[in-house]
Amino acid sequence: MSLTEQHDLRQQVTLLELVDRVLNKGVVLTGDVTLSVADVDLVYIGLRVLLASAATLEERQEAISAGSAQP
Amino acid sequence: MTSVAGAGTLRRDDLGWYLYGVVAAGEAPAELGAGVSVDPAHEVELVSEGPLAGVASRVSLQEFDEGMLPERLGDATWLEQKIRAHEQVLERVLRGASVVPCRFCTVYRSEAELRRFLSERREALMAALDRVRGQVEVGVKAFVDLDRFTVDQATRNEDIQELEKRVAAAEGGRAYLERRRLEQLVAAELERLRSVAGGEIHSRLLVAAEDGLPLPPQPAEISGRDGEMLFNGAYLVTADQSPFEQALTSVARDYRDAGIDFELTGPWPPYNFVPVELKAS
Repeated sequence: MSLTEQHDLRQQVTLLELVDRVLNKGVVLTGDVTLSVADVDLVYIGLRVLLASAATLEERQEAISAGSAQP
Repeated sequence: MTSVAGAGTLRRDDLGWYLYGVVAAGEAPAELGAGVSVDPAHEVELVSEGPLAGVASRVSLQEFDEGMLPERLGDATWLEQKIRAHEQVLERVLRGASVVPCRFCTVYRSEAELRRFLSERREALMAALDRVRGQVEVGVKAFVDLDRFTVDQATRNEDIQELEKRVAAAEGGRAYLERRRLEQLVAAELERLRSVAGGEIHSRLLVAAEDGLPLPPQPAEISGRDGEMLFNGAYLVTADQSPFEQALTSVARDYRDAGIDFELTGPWPPYNFVPVELKAS
């Protein structure tokens, strides 16, 4: 795996770690916040989307390694 | 595009306030840093209300409208940009102040609504700030390297040693059956480790932290790792993380031979150590 690919993967992992916190934790202001996303299943939607993009990233990496393995 | 929300139809230029987190007004950093916010057209500002200050920035209500959110959340590019901006703003604040982080997409329709929140929830916010004063959150994850785990098990388990020899000697269907038995034996040992390691790791790390909580281990398709996640935890530690890092180094040393690798992330705003809901004062 090249340094760039490792960097990409690293970024992706951090993003998932981030999603876990930003979407799932932190003070929720139900009741007095006029715009609230508490009713939306944010974690589910967010993870599904990001998983989809992580899968794309992996496919891309496999394509890159397969490509570089050829003479 | 017409978007209808609770208060009626929004105009394109209607602005609301996105709240990232809350700090003590006296501790509020003078430099919030330019260029990072969830809506690039508007910089981050401090909205002071009594002893508290909201770290906030104006946002287009058209973009952050509740009715539009499910659709926005389906847009990976939009979501990633906003999540990263939310985090970057809080990380800048965290360098100079203790902060109570808000959940993603906490949006008020007006400055008056934001100020009312800061004032009505003053006591609960002050208590939440007190709990995290001078502290940051770190994440700890442990992963099993199954190859190294199996090798280590073989050094201490005679049944596994014996089976490995037979797998090497056998051929065809017999080799397959022996290999299956070996896999089952290793899986049983892994199950035993799973049942005890989490508790042991957590209690040893907790001693070096202000607070901590075990989190559900993430499945491999979420963690993005090959190895199974054996342990996942969040800890509230002093801004000088060295005592905690020492404890983690010691735990990691004890588990290294068994094929367990540890990963430390952070410092994070203390997302896991603030109350989810705040009572009105």
